Amino acid sequence: MNIRKAVLVPTTIFTLAGMSLIGCSKSAESGSGSSATSSSETIYTIAVIAKSNSNPPFQAAKTGAIDAGKRLSAEMEGVTIQVDWQTPPQEDAQLQAQYVEQLVASGVDGIAISVTDANTLNGVLKDAVSKGVVVVTFDSDAPDSGRMAYYGVDDKEAGKEVMRQLAIQLDGKGVVAVLTGNPAATNLSARVDGVAEEAGNYEGISIKQVYSFTPETATEAVAKMQQVQTANPDITGWALVGGWPLYTDNALDGIYEHAKIVSMDPLPLPLEYAMKGQVQVLVGQPYYGWGEKSVEMIIDKLHFDRSPETELVYADFDIVTIENAEEYAKQWDKWLGKDATP
Amino acid sequence: MFSKLFAHQESGLILVIILLMTALSIYGHFKPSESKDSIVLGDSAEIRFLDAQGAEHGPGELGRNEISFYRVLENGKTTDYSSSVVSRYDSSARTVFTEQRANRFLNKGNLVLIAKNASFFAIMAVGMTGVIILAGIDLSVGSIYGFSAILGAMALNTLGSDASWMLSIPIGFGVCVLAGALCGLANGAMTVGFGVHPFVITLGMMASLRGLTVYTAQAVYDNQSIAGLSDSFTTGFIKKEFFGVYPVPILFMILIAIAGWFVLTRTVFGRRIMAIGGNETAAKYAGIPVGRVKIWVYTITGALAGLSAALYIGYLGSAETNAGNAYELQVIAATVIGGASLMGGRGTVFGAVLGAIVIQLLNNGMVILRVDASVNLIVMGGAIIIAVVIDQTKQRLAARRG
Repeated sequence: MNIRKAVLVPTTIFTLAGMSLIGCSKSAESGSGSSATSSSETIYTIAVIAKSNSNPPFQAAKTGAIDAGKRLSAEMEGVTIQVDWQTPPQEDAQLQAQYVEQLVASGVDGIAISVTDANTLNGVLKDAVSKGVVVVTFDSDAPDSGRMAYYGVDDKEAGKEVMRQLAIQLDGKGVVAVLTGNPAATNLSARVDGVAEEAGNYEGISIKQVYSFTPETATEAVAKMQQVQTANPDITGWALVGGWPLYTDNALDGIYEHAKIVSMDPLPLPLEYAMKGQVQVLVGQPYYGWGEKSVEMIIDKLHFDRSPETELVYADFDIVTIENAEEYAKQWDKWLGKDATP
Repeated sequence: MFSKLFAHQESGLILVIILLMTALSIYGHFKPSESKDSIVLGDSAEIRFLDAQGAEHGPGELGRNEISFYRVLENGKTTDYSSSVVSRYDSSARTVFTEQRANRFLNKGNLVLIAKNASFFAIMAVGMTGVIILAGIDLSVGSIYGFSAILGAMALNTLGSDASWMLSIPIGFGVCVLAGALCGLANGAMTVGFGVHPFVITLGMMASLRGLTVYTAQAVYDNQSIAGLSDSFTTGFIKKEFFGVYPVPILFMILIAIAGWFVLTRTVFGRRIMAIGGNETAAKYAGIPVGRVKIWVYTITGALAGLSAALYIGYLGSAETNAGNAYELQVIAATVIGGASLMGGRGTVFGAVLGAIVIQLLNNGMVILRVDASVNLIVMGGAIIIAVVIDQTKQRLAARRG
């Protein structure tokens, strides 16, 4: 057997077998739980594009979206809702734009997206809307994209809430450092603005600096916090507009002993810091709701032509302290799909 | 004729591409997508929804699967659209959206998208081919891409959205390519001048340029994302629509591939690159200016990263400081899948371009097959390993026979 046959024949067989297996298998969540559909059934395909797969809150959004798809499929006769998760491994606005274009070309009916950079995504989302795709944003908005609605918290209010809670912990006086991630993210910028604006209401509080880091990983965040605290022992408070450093163990050693910490995002690992008393307050967003509510709004529009009453659908914050951290933690089993209750 | 065809290094890749496209086309045939179009209603038009019994209803009264016909009444004329061709009616946009079934993979829009998405990486992979043939590496191409994009976006934002194409096109391309070339020149000069392995130099440049990108954007614009670019550069040129698709980045990819092939195979400079990659010591003793050639190759690689950045900002109409993050991995993967040897001395431009296309085909395939994106990286990594192993096996078998 010559070289060409030795290489090309197995390549051919492997490729065909592999693609056939993938094509025949059930590769994505289907709302009805059944892969058989009749010609009279209406099938809606909704793609969910979060900022990155490596960020834990988006896993809750994924569960929320898939659960909403299953629930609505069971409630609506003759309707099947398929939810596709197409999120980049790490934050990449160009890759998100690429996914949007490919999903529109493949015939998706709705897109729920948390945009990494609104400027980059505006054009492709406008194209999607012009082709009849219903677009809803969550967590991070793209207001000029022609999207139908945004669901999430008011990010500036979220930043204000973080600072408000920190001011209570500091009795209205101290030196505060602000930690943020990707500076291009509009939601994070809005939160930082909120922190700064609220800090202005307290004469005894001064903002040392806004510290950013990239890429948005726990390791980078921890390194930044520890370097800054070591170099600036006068810092008595930290306002974290995202919970990145708390996604790893022992992140606050050397910090919590000297400063009060209030952070966004009471995820499972950050909740442990709250239970240990190392983080005083965690401000929560509707992580599960990002996916659940987005799918609900899209289906409402697709099936009943009903738009939300307002473009900006704001959710309330959850305030988590050492007192209610344990109770809040139990909700994560459901949000991460560990709760087997249908 | 066929034995000559299959003797070429790229023949295996072409076969893989054909097989992938065939499989996806077959899947796309049995699982078609709905290509969408729209009918915008005039101000005086009214719409009614008919159920299976022919009774009329207003907007929002019937679920989509209960509507049999969409009746449009306009200027005394009544038009009924069957629900089999209408996907939905959007009352807020007063638009009826219609659908036609199309092969989910094998349609004009999707195929152009694959080629367009590949073009950004393929152009950089052309330059990376030269670097890898020299037994070097350039880990900074992603950062050069991001840095050039920010500088180009700043220049085009300064010109304004209504600047003439006579200014915006030369300035947009000029700033991006020059910025990329200077970064590449720095890579080459430091590698040759200090005698340090390019892995170390380009790793340092990768980090430095990423920091410089963030700092520059923040210092000048107090923002990490820059939009408001000249329309004549973006929608007027790079993202100009032809028959419903945007082919300009693909044309650039083809031109650069042809130019790269010509330089590598038909010029003295190209021969020198191959000679140095094959045996650097022998090349030196043969009188080839090894240092100068290396500097040129890194400079050209940087310039091509800048060119790709120009296409990026032209296509998406903006630049953000995170652009190109970790793109060097995809570029190197495309080059290696295309047959370039990390040991040096071997590689082709067309192979690199085909490698970029294979990667985008796999990406597109996973979207079409509705594979959870969490699995993407596993599949991509596996495909790269398989491609390299097959190529290495092919080389070993050829050596044994030879």
